[in-house]
Amino acid sequence: MTAIVCTAAATSIVYLFAGSVAALRKEGLAFFTTSHWLYRREQFGAASMLFGSAVVAVLALLLATPVAIATAVFISEMAPQRLRVTLKVGVELLAGIPSVVYGLLGVLFLRDWIAALYDRIGVDALSADTLFTGGILLAVMVLPTIATLSEDALHSVPLAAREAARGLGLTRSETIAGVVVPRAAAGIIGAVLLGFGRAAGETIAVFLVVGRADNRPLRFGSIVDAGQTITSKLGGSETNIAVGDALHMSALMMLALVLLLFVLAATFAAEALRGRIAAETQ
Amino acid sequence: MAQIAVAFLLLVAGVGEAAGPLRVNGSTTVNPVAADAADVLRTERHMTIQVDTQGGSSGGIAGIGDGSIDVGMSSKPVSADDRAKYPRVNFVATEIGRDAVALVVSADVWNGGVHALSRQQIAAIYEGRVTNWKEVGGPDRRIVFFNKEPGRGTWEVFARWLYGDPKNAPAVSHPEVGGNEEARTKVSSTRGAITQLSASWADEKAPALSIKLDDGRVVAPVAAEIVMGRYPMARPLFFVTNGPPRGDAKALIDYVLSPRGQELLRKHGYLRLADLRAKGEKVAAH
Repeated sequence: MTAIVCTAAATSIVYLFAGSVAALRKEGLAFFTTSHWLYRREQFGAASMLFGSAVVAVLALLLATPVAIATAVFISEMAPQRLRVTLKVGVELLAGIPSVVYGLLGVLFLRDWIAALYDRIGVDALSADTLFTGGILLAVMVLPTIATLSEDALHSVPLAAREAARGLGLTRSETIAGVVVPRAAAGIIGAVLLGFGRAAGETIAVFLVVGRADNRPLRFGSIVDAGQTITSKLGGSETNIAVGDALHMSALMMLALVLLLFVLAATFAAEALRGRIAAETQ
Repeated sequence: MAQIAVAFLLLVAGVGEAAGPLRVNGSTTVNPVAADAADVLRTERHMTIQVDTQGGSSGGIAGIGDGSIDVGMSSKPVSADDRAKYPRVNFVATEIGRDAVALVVSADVWNGGVHALSRQQIAAIYEGRVTNWKEVGGPDRRIVFFNKEPGRGTWEVFARWLYGDPKNAPAVSHPEVGGNEEARTKVSSTRGAITQLSASWADEKAPALSIKLDDGRVVAPVAAEIVMGRYPMARPLFFVTNGPPRGDAKALIDYVLSPRGQELLRKHGYLRLADLRAKGEKVAAH
């Protein structure tokens, strides 16, 4: 199984890297540092897409992680057994909802809520299709993933550790904060990293709410402006247009390569951390 | 979503049949006609048809180019560039009717008094030289231009009208929209919004502007003006095949060209071929 996955990943990387050479040779580092993606003029600077992907993924994690960990602690450490099973199944069901459903809900409801929010707090945004909107939607999407994986990590802490802590006179909350969570920390960080991978790689839901505006400036205020992510670019119409245009296709492959490497790195780091905790608890 | 569900059911139902389904993909403008025609052919002739709208017109043309679909739906002609990209493919585009590209605005812009714009005003808005509706006689509100993504038939008709050739269109940095549903939803739910949209998809929440021509006439994107050739952004709608249509693809295209099939165009607000012929116009052959 591992061999198949590694072979598939390696093949994809080699294929995408070979495809990216033309764009790299043309743009060099400017591919990463300039915001000039103008395919009709054969300019491929992807900085605003890298920025967009980073903003939505980081925003999603900042919002989702505290809630997800609190949920995991409640399910694993506080809920009675019957409720625990129900909640665990519920969270896993949420994690399995197809992303296009989240995207449609985002278009139908989230955009209106965000527009009202911007009005109330005085943000002068052109429309509700912004990087911030994408980050909020992603936070909702990755929350169940992080919660259920964190719960696995917490639950795998041996009962003996809890009993020892209680035996030493620690209260339940002291036991959770001082013993269980620290021992599960590697697994929880792994869960967050897997959440990052999902957030960065998510396409269709982000595509529908992020605005898909090219080449916006890289500054803090751009968060409440329409933007573009790597995935919203790759999910758009340019992949059809680029057929037969070697340089354009090469630039899109370069984007795909960057995305793949990011997600793979996050996933491998996460699995390594989760593997470590699994080894410790045996 | 309904189409995805239908496609899935058809996939399941189609297991065990020797031939695969007839794969149709492309323009969201042509889609309602093709989807209705497919419904009829499924019940009347037990054909297995999948209709999808991935990538719009350019998705339909690319699909015929790489052989992943059987019939492409397109709201733009197959260009010389497309033919050059796929030299071994014999693109045959069959016109099934006609449509117009409208500029639709959000209700607040319409109610604020903007009902028609000139070509110069539209170009200025598109290029970001005019950024507030009050500069073109509307309310004091910033203009949000939802640009149809490149490759969409709607965008190419718009760019050809303003700039002669889509390749001459200036680089802009507007938020982009894809299919007709997305464009209409976003314009109707955003204040100060405007987008390019198939005229028959306009409604009271996203009303279509008229165009002020250079000679001062104001023409609306309605059937009478399109038939007379007065509205500037009219466009033919096509089914595209590799070589002359055969088998199930021919059955689908023949049905849409038949009187019953042509009624589907009228149902969805498009012009029938007969409407064009009645005015003595030559139907485009590409």
